[in-house]
This record gives sequence, structure tokens and C-alpha cells, in this order.
Amino acid sequence: MDSKERLLNALKGVKTDRSPCICPGGMMNMVVTALMEKADIHWPEAHTDPIKMAGLAKAVYDYGCFENYGVPFCMTIEAEQLGAVVDLGSTVYEPHVTGYALEDLSQWNKLPHLDPYSNRANVVLDAIKILKEQADKIPIIGNLSGPVSVATSLIEPVVYYKALRRRKEEAHAFMKFVTEGLISFGRAQIEAGADVIAISDPSGTGEILGPRLFEEYVVTYINQLIDGLREGNPEIPMIVHICGRMHKVYEPLNKLRADAHSFDSIVSIKESKKMLPGKTMMGNVSTFALEFADADRIRLMTQKVMAEGSDIIAPACGLGTKSSLENIQAMLNAVQGK
Amino acid sequence: MNIMVKSKEELLQQLSDCVFEMDDENAADVAKDYIAAGYEALDGVLKGLVDGMNRAGQMYEEEEYFVTDLLVCSDAMYNGLDVLREHLPQETAEGAVNYKCVIGVVEGDTHDIGKNLVRIMLETAGFEMYDLGRDVPLQSFVEKAKDVDAQLICLSTLMTTTMPGMKEVVDILVKEGIRDKVKVMIGGGPLSQAYCNQINADGYAVNATGAVTVAKQLVGMA
Repeated sequence: MDSKERLLNALKGVKTDRSPCICPGGMMNMVVTALMEKADIHWPEAHTDPIKMAGLAKAVYDYGCFENYGVPFCMTIEAEQLGAVVDLGSTVYEPHVTGYALEDLSQWNKLPHLDPYSNRANVVLDAIKILKEQADKIPIIGNLSGPVSVATSLIEPVVYYKALRRRKEEAHAFMKFVTEGLISFGRAQIEAGADVIAISDPSGTGEILGPRLFEEYVVTYINQLIDGLREGNPEIPMIVHICGRMHKVYEPLNKLRADAHSFDSIVSIKESKKMLPGKTMMGNVSTFALEFADADRIRLMTQKVMAEGSDIIAPACGLGTKSSLENIQAMLNAVQGK
Repeated sequence: MNIMVKSKEELLQQLSDCVFEMDDENAADVAKDYIAAGYEALDGVLKGLVDGMNRAGQMYEEEEYFVTDLLVCSDAMYNGLDVLREHLPQETAEGAVNYKCVIGVVEGDTHDIGKNLVRIMLETAGFEMYDLGRDVPLQSFVEKAKDVDAQLICLSTLMTTTMPGMKEVVDILVKEGIRDKVKVMIGGGPLSQAYCNQINADGYAVNATGAVTVAKQLVGMA
């Protein structure tokens, strides 16, 4: 069974020879500084050059880190296309938003529409096309930042979170606008050749929002995003990653129409499988351990996650850039039974 | 016309309830009534507004309130505080210590919602806060702490990539010979007490209410 068939089967709950071991990209970054050195392709250049972006995504597979390709390596492109100011970071720091596009929520309708065919959004599309030409047995994961995370990159989060309670009408109009932009970028990624879409919404946690607002905003707009992407691509598998503890929001989570869920390592796979029956579980080897523990420990942690019933083995929240290749390879080797 | 003057206890309870029940629109009016009735501003702050924020913090501990709830509660608190502030006694009692705290999200990271909440809770607890914002150059924490003579530096990050920056801040304090003058408290998603020990920071807090307890212990605030 090749890597692509294995992942696509696992996402749809069809039997596989063994679990796939992947890391999607986007917020769940899979590129580490040591890999940049091996491949001689570096951040921040790889964020703006499609050949370098594709090269680095390919290196992830070639150097035995994960069984997928994935782009981009950050979660700032959507917000940048909508007017946020982004610092592209360094070989260690990921790109991050340094300037919001909005002072006040009431200005949202002055924002530009998200154009997927320009600037760094187009770099992602070109990188996907390059990767598509090079391999048909390796799954390509296109990544999107979730609606709440994009929203909190466009306006000061405290202002935004308060508006969710106090200015509901405007907040919903803004979220609809953001979600429509994400649909256009996601569709363009699928058209360019993405086999899977991963949506990460780290700012939309149950701990910040509580169950009521979680359902009203996170579930509503991720579902709109999923439905929008499936229009014309009914088979496209989708992974949704949400950070933080989940025990307060399992009920609304069950309403998400994703194929697979990915959680923080503080969430027990055993518990989440019980609370989300019929859903594919991805994860959740500790990102912290992958950076700070040794390879023996990673092997044990990977085996534990497999024993708990994770269907797709992956780092919980992507990788810190200073994680060692040895640790990442230890995870893949454990999954491959080496 | 017969104007009923509300008792002090009644108004304190209303101030507390405005904060606790997220009634940010009425907090200022209740504060005005309280002052108009001639009651002490300091009690209005501590036994009214801060009491409400503490009750909200308790609900947060119990996972009945969430971060967004606390943010709206704090809006109500600040609305009331804006009214009461000018009526507070100007001079602090002789010998009273002014607890100063520098807070920020370390360089490379921009997730600041947790930091903002900790700032609010520490302010509520009586700390004078100096908020450097997010993506803060490491040296700036030390510079600011020296400038204002702070007893505490609070460092926050949600990313493993930027955690080593916290150790660097501790190291800079050592290098500058002021490590014994400033306590360092850390917090954020990937952190733990073990990491706190490893980098020789002084305290680790799991959440915003925990941060208040740890911060008070570190500076010896009663």
C-alpha cells in the first residue's frame, strides 16, 4: 500500500495495512531547522518561492520525517491576503502577524476579498502544482487557517472575543466574509492538486470560548468552510485541528463535518474516540517532547498513542523548529515497525 | 420626592454583581451612585469591583466561565474603576510596597490572549503592570524591569519554538547581576513546572487565576 492510498483510506475509515505517519503543515508545521540545513533550502525564503517551498516539502518525505507532502509552513497567508502585516520570521521563528488589518470590527467590509491567485497564496498553489508533477504515490496536504484564527489575526483578539458576545450581528457578518475567503483559497489548493485539506483553528479553543460560543462560531464557520470546499469536490478528505482541552466541547464537536480530528497532546485519544464515535483520530505525540525529549522516549510515546487507537499518527501540534531529525525519524520508525 | 439612598453594602454588592454578571454597561452608573452617596472609593474598588472579578475568577477555575467571559467581566471592572479612580486616596500609606510587574509574550510569538488575561488578573490583585505586548525582544524585559524597578517579570508563550527565549531572559538577568532582585514567572500552553525548574525561573502558573497566587507568593504580597 503506498503512502497516498494508506492516508486516504485511513481518513475515510477504510482498512489499511498500518497507520500512516504524517504532519500536515500550515499551523502544524513539519519543517525543522536541521532539515533546512540538509536540504539547503531555508526559511524565510521558502515562504515566498514556490520552487523552494516545494523542495522543502519534498525534503520532509525524502529525509524520512513524514509520509506526506504539505504546504505552506505557516498560518499567516490568509490574514496577509486580507490586509494583516506579517513578519516572515527566520530559520527558527515561523512567520507571524505583527500588524492587524482592522482597528474596529465595524470596518470589516472595507477589507479586500481574499485573492488566492496572488502573492504568497499563489506561491502555495504553484508549490502544490510542482509537488503534484513529482509524485503520485505521496499525498499532498493543503493547509488552511481556521476562520476564528484568521479573524484574530485581522483584529486584536480581545476586541474580537468581546465582540462575539456583544456585537453578534457584526461578528457573524465578519466571520462569513472570512470563511468565504478561506473557501476560495481552499478550492484553489484542491484545483492545484491537494489531495487532503487540513484546517487548523488554534484560536478557536473551547477553553477560550466555552461551549456556547464554540458552537456558535467555531462549529458554524468550520462547517461552512467544509461544505464550501466539498461543493464540486465531494470526496476531498478534511482534517480539523483544534488546540487545548476538549472535555467541555465534545458535544458541539460532534457536529463538525470533518473526516478526521486532531487534538493537543493533553487530550487522550482513548477518551476522544469514545466521545466522538465514528470519527477518525489523528495525533497526538507531544510537540513538546518531540523538541525536548530523546529518541527512546519518542518511540515509547508513539507506541502508546498507537495503542490508544490513534488512526493517523502525527505530532500533536506540529513541530518546533529546533526538534531533532533523530526524534522525528524515531516516530516514523516506530509507526513503520522498524 | 422621596429618594431612597442605598446602603453601602447594597451598592458594594451591585458593583460586585456588575462585574460578575458581565454588566459592563451599568458598572459606571453604579459607581457614580456609590460615590454620590459619599462612600469610600477604596472600598468600592476592593469590596465591590475586585470582589466581582474574584468571583468571576472562581467560576473560571470551576470551568463555568471561560476566557471570553472574563474579558467582558474585566470591561465592567475597568468601567467602574474609571469612575472610582479619581476619588481614591492619593497618598499610599507609609512603608507600603508598590508591587511592579513587567509582562509580555516572548520574541517570535504573537499569541497574547493568555498574557492579557494574566495582566488583568494581576492588576486586579494590586500589581502595577507594565505590559510590553507581544513578540517582545528578550532584552526589553530586563531593560523595562530595571527602568521601573520591578520585582516580577512574567513571560508567556504558546509555542515550543519560542520557549528558549524564556531561559535567555533569566540568563540576561544573571549576566546583569540583578537575578536576585527580580522574580521570573512563566506561563503558556507547552510549559510546565519541570521546564520552569530547568531554566531556573522562579514560578510557573497553569492559568490566569493560578498566576495571581504564584505572583503573590513570589513577591511576598500578603
